[in-house]
Amino acid sequence: MPSASALRIQIESSLERRFPAALTPVPRTIRETAPTGIQEVDHLLDGGLPVGAISEVTGPESSGRTTLSLAFLSQRTRQGQVCAWVDACDAFDAESAAASGVNLRQLLWVRCRSIATASKNKPWARLDQALRSTDLLLQAGGFAALVLDLGNTAPEHGCQIPLATWFRFRQAADRTRCSLVVLGTVPFAQSSAAAVLECAATQVVTGCETVLSSCCYELRTERQRFTPQPFAPRIMGLRKPPASTWSATSPWQREEGA
Amino acid sequence: MKQELYACIHAAEFPAQALLRMHTELESQPVAVLEGRAPLETVCSLNRLAQLKGATLGMTRLEAESIEGLRLLGRSEETEAAARAVFFECAAHFSPRIEAASQGTACACVLDIAGTERLFGPHETLAQRLRAALALAGFRSSVAVSTNFHAARFKAASTRGITVIPDMQEAAFLAKLPIALLGLDEAHAETFAVWGIRTLGELAALEETELVTRLRPQAARWRDLARGALPHTFQPIEAEFSLKEFCDFDTPVERSDSLLFMGARMIDCLVARAASHALSLASLDLRMRLAGSLAYQRTIRPAIPTTDRKFLLKLLQLEIAAHPPQAAVLSFTLTAQAGQSSKVQLGLFAPQTPEPSRLDVTIARLKAIAGEDRVGSPVLEDSHRPGSFRMESFVVASQPTSPAYVEKSRPRLALRRMRPPMPVRVQLFAFKPVAFGNREESFKVAVAYGPWRTSGCWWSTEGWDAEEWDILAETCSGSTVACLLVRNCAQNAWSLEAFYD
Repeated sequence: MPSASALRIQIESSLERRFPAALTPVPRTIRETAPTGIQEVDHLLDGGLPVGAISEVTGPESSGRTTLSLAFLSQRTRQGQVCAWVDACDAFDAESAAASGVNLRQLLWVRCRSIATASKNKPWARLDQALRSTDLLLQAGGFAALVLDLGNTAPEHGCQIPLATWFRFRQAADRTRCSLVVLGTVPFAQSSAAAVLECAATQVVTGCETVLSSCCYELRTERQRFTPQPFAPRIMGLRKPPASTWSATSPWQREEGA
Repeated sequence: MKQELYACIHAAEFPAQALLRMHTELESQPVAVLEGRAPLETVCSLNRLAQLKGATLGMTRLEAESIEGLRLLGRSEETEAAARAVFFECAAHFSPRIEAASQGTACACVLDIAGTERLFGPHETLAQRLRAALALAGFRSSVAVSTNFHAARFKAASTRGITVIPDMQEAAFLAKLPIALLGLDEAHAETFAVWGIRTLGELAALEETELVTRLRPQAARWRDLARGALPHTFQPIEAEFSLKEFCDFDTPVERSDSLLFMGARMIDCLVARAASHALSLASLDLRMRLAGSLAYQRTIRPAIPTTDRKFLLKLLQLEIAAHPPQAAVLSFTLTAQAGQSSKVQLGLFAPQTPEPSRLDVTIARLKAIAGEDRVGSPVLEDSHRPGSFRMESFVVASQPTSPAYVEKSRPRLALRRMRPPMPVRVQLFAFKPVAFGNREESFKVAVAYGPWRTSGCWWSTEGWDAEEWDILAETCSGSTVACLLVRNCAQNAWSLEAFYD
């Protein structure tokens, strides 16, 4: 009776033309992750956002993208690391960042300016500034996390960013071990993104009739290239990607147990 | 008793040398320096190539211009002062006791080098090193070493290269030098000319008694000077260490490339001078005199003191690119503040941070892209005004917080500001918003929390009086958004300030 290894070799050699090394496990890259500080999200992402790769956090307004990004920066800056926020839309709110626990002294904020002649339908100047700034910061190195905020950029404009740019960002992020988080309404980086997360709002919780106390959000992983569990069973045909719900409390709400 | 020993450095034609030091491209050309008011300018200094071309001191501009290929430069007192400081600084590397001995257009100083043999070796070696150091700084000089102060001074002024006068042979070495070195007044110079006395040797050969009888006691001093026997009380100067370079342009400079070319040369000199004192450059102060009596001043302050020439030049380039001079540049002054070279002990487990020098260049480039005041760290203002903050320059903390403990807490709702706020029209029912929008978008209010009233600074023009509403609204597409609606009470104007995101 042939042994298991002999059988495997026999099957692989017969299928070699169609499937090279069909029964041999493919070596997979296990990428280091950095926690976002939100337990549900970290659980969903198997530890957090990947280090040295591009993560895209997408969704419409009020979907929790900014809250998630600030929570991530909060974790990084609290560990003494330096982060940057490239703000193509000049939408960053310093008070919210401070309330989220971001150490503002460890944060470099680049506010892209609007050119007087640029109309709303031609936001190339801001987009160009944001991309050039991101390039410079990634090439400089030393930043643990970099958020490229394209949250208010129209999809038709963001999708025109050349793939070569994202590829260059991916290479630079990998080299400098920087977590590049791209905020947008839709995914822009395409194949260069290691993780694509889709955010959505689920419900608003009111502590009482007059105060907005917290919001619940849903997070789906549209793509996750580097999973830390290389031999985890894959369920083929799962049409709905894994999702998780999490909530954010308003800054004026007292912490539970405080 | 310790034997006296002096080394005199003499840089002839110093106005020309000071200018050529900054204009290195003219080193191989005949150059004459003019002084005086136009059109009565005369040549006050010239280099050797100009002498070979036939130029002489005292020539008028017209005469000088008739010499083919002769470059004419204007005399610059500030350039000479900066060059003189460098000259004395070079000399100070060999002896702390220096006495200035400049005469006319020459720059000279005498060093007390007694007891320096163990440091620099024999006198010839010291003289060679001294001359080489000055050549490196851009000066052509002659050096003379003698046990007599005046003998060293006379010999350095009248010969090229290096001369070491052995002890007790001063008179022999000075014998062939012209009597003009004594700086005689016109009457006495004429007297000696009538007597046929033209060299110091001939003066030294005269009888002291006869000389004093005819020319009063001062003649004895001249005779001692001629013999190299006049004693001298050394009067050392305190060499001031200031890192300053100056360049006066002949023609107004409009291109930044030309400025950077000069700036690179200046930075090289400043770095070399600072490094010779084991120091670094902590800041660079740029001052320019512009056409139309305008002035230009900027300061470059690297994150850490550095001696990296390329890095400083890059900062200079970015600073000039970000703030170009408003008119043509007439003169350029670069002053540096010295700082201690910093050493950072990196830790194996310390979090990664940007390299300070590289970060400086990156931030300068970011400022060129986004704007001067739009790059930095946000700092919250001590005010109740919603959304108030100011930008400060981004500096990486030298000792970041310990990574030992990370607090676990629930995430907080974050706002995305709209800058500027979007003006909207609001429909009210029972004093509460029920719908709002503008020409492009409209929202139907599902829940409105508020109003939250805030006001302040009513005593100034920057006062505010507003009413904030936290709104849950439905868009035309059916999605729900949470946003912050603000009513300006003073103007009764509504605006969409931010989205909860």
